[in-house]
Amino acid sequence: MKKKYLIAIIILLVGSGLTLATYFATHIYQRDSVALITDHQIKDTFVQRDKDVYGNVDQTRRQILHLTILSGPQRGKKYVTSNVYYPSQLVSQKYRPRQRIFVDIKKNQPAIVNPKRDWVLVLMLTLTLALMVSVTGKKAIPLICSLVLSWVIFYGVILADVKLNGTSMFLFFASANIIFSFVSLAIVQGVNQKMLVTWVATLLGVFISFGICYAMMKLTGETEMRYETGDYATQDPRGIFMAQALLGILGAVMDEATDIVSSLHELVKTTPDITPLTLIKSGRAMGQEIMGPLINVLVLIFISGALPETILYLRDNNTLSAAFGFTLSLGATQSVIAAIGIVLTVIFATGCSLWFLRARKRGDLV
Amino acid sequence: MSTLAALIVVLAILMTIVGGETGIRSFFSVLINTLLLILVALLISWGINIELLILIFIPLKLVTIIFLGTHNGRVAKNSFVAALIVSVTVSLLILVVQYFAQAAGLGPEAGEVLVGLSQMPGLSYPMIAVAVAMFSSLGAIAEAAVAMSSGLLALKRAQPGISAVALKRSGNRIGTDVIGTALNTILFGMFGSFLSLFLWYFRLNYSIGQVLNEKLFVNEALIIMYSLIGVLLTVPLTTILLVEGITKTEVKNEK
Repeated sequence: MKKKYLIAIIILLVGSGLTLATYFATHIYQRDSVALITDHQIKDTFVQRDKDVYGNVDQTRRQILHLTILSGPQRGKKYVTSNVYYPSQLVSQKYRPRQRIFVDIKKNQPAIVNPKRDWVLVLMLTLTLALMVSVTGKKAIPLICSLVLSWVIFYGVILADVKLNGTSMFLFFASANIIFSFVSLAIVQGVNQKMLVTWVATLLGVFISFGICYAMMKLTGETEMRYETGDYATQDPRGIFMAQALLGILGAVMDEATDIVSSLHELVKTTPDITPLTLIKSGRAMGQEIMGPLINVLVLIFISGALPETILYLRDNNTLSAAFGFTLSLGATQSVIAAIGIVLTVIFATGCSLWFLRARKRGDLV
Repeated sequence: MSTLAALIVVLAILMTIVGGETGIRSFFSVLINTLLLILVALLISWGINIELLILIFIPLKLVTIIFLGTHNGRVAKNSFVAALIVSVTVSLLILVVQYFAQAAGLGPEAGEVLVGLSQMPGLSYPMIAVAVAMFSSLGAIAEAAVAMSSGLLALKRAQPGISAVALKRSGNRIGTDVIGTALNTILFGMFGSFLSLFLWYFRLNYSIGQVLNEKLFVNEALIIMYSLIGVLLTVPLTTILLVEGITKTEVKNEK
């Protein structure tokens, strides 16, 4: 058996152990107490049939839950509580027998907070890592490193932003982008000529396309840009939108620039008599193939996320254009900005690769 | 003209200049893809069976992305078969995992969003969450399938005599690049999509334990992993399908 499959199996075993450990972990949580629903069959009663002003029909149901507290000062105590839910589970939650949940105990009355979901994340992470090792073998190491580092930098960026209290958000996220792309590219490729060319192409792609989009926004007076519809706005919603657009564009542009620059670098090395024109043509041909699918990836991510809310607006007899304005227009704008970045990067990545030709002439092509 | 419309016009012009005919086709692929997604939302809101919609729209969206976005028939056919098999597999995984994660519906800010909206829409939000997760990962799966197929076929054209074993080995190398490409796109796409949510967690002093159990965070993290798993499965499967397809046609030609 190949070594990489052995490692993948080890990851699976260790991961399953960690998943179980997380599932049963009770004392690592300080904020809320962990409780176990002790019922084998939860008593679930029908309360009433509801019909709202929009003609939607739903039910109200009540579950009677017997809880044993597993952690915190009330450890070992038993409570009986009830949980009201609507089967559509938009804002309410139906609980299951023998499930572990979080409760907040105040005045000797438990209030249900959340189901315990952390172990699902550990399980899926295990599966993803094991699969990554068995598909890519040794190459999984830089991939996983860049993944972890991206999360770490992202965490740092958020911490810093909260410290700065959202002042000059655009400048802040612009510099975060510069650091993000440098570190990410350096891990996967190492600091060398090719990596620096990719980095420059990435930055040009992100900032010039963003500049063009910003100019367009100013020219059209930001009409129908409803920043206030952005969810979870804890600071200037316009600033948040700009920062989200900058971050969302970066990954795709970086990946695309890497693809094009690496291939053209290979081409310059293997074809001694290549002319600038052939190089530009190859770059364009590659870009044409990549850009469509890459834009689709981002569109699906940006738009799908808003669908639950869109469906709700539509369900409540809003017109399509009203629902679009409230829930999708910001995501759609973000998608278009990202798409413009992806298209322009074809030009910048190819243009920057011309530098390899000059380097070869001087005789210092690495 | 609204800003969105103006930006779309700029995008159409740029895609035509940079991409030529392929660019125009890609533009329409993206446009149709977006409209399909909005159509799904509309149909679900009318109360049409969500499972049925998923079954219809997964192949439909793959066709839009793959057949409109590429111009080589062989690349398209092979990518489509691979992407469809992987999508079905990932969908089954999503069904199981979403059942245990119980992360459907709107997040902690729901109260503010829901002013004037129904809290009992009479639709199954757990099933809607499954649909959203499936559609989010489709793009990454299709992209990986197209990149693998076109990379391998280009290699085969350059070296017509290449053996199946050598082709599979090259498939591994190309596959690593394809995975690397998908990784950042998915991750930063998600960061860009949910920056405000993460800021919200911090400003409201959520502890790490709370965030890791919070509905929306769990949902987003799971979608990133579904997409990654989709890409990881697509790479070897596309290689196998393509190499087998090539060997079969060669045997036929020899006879």
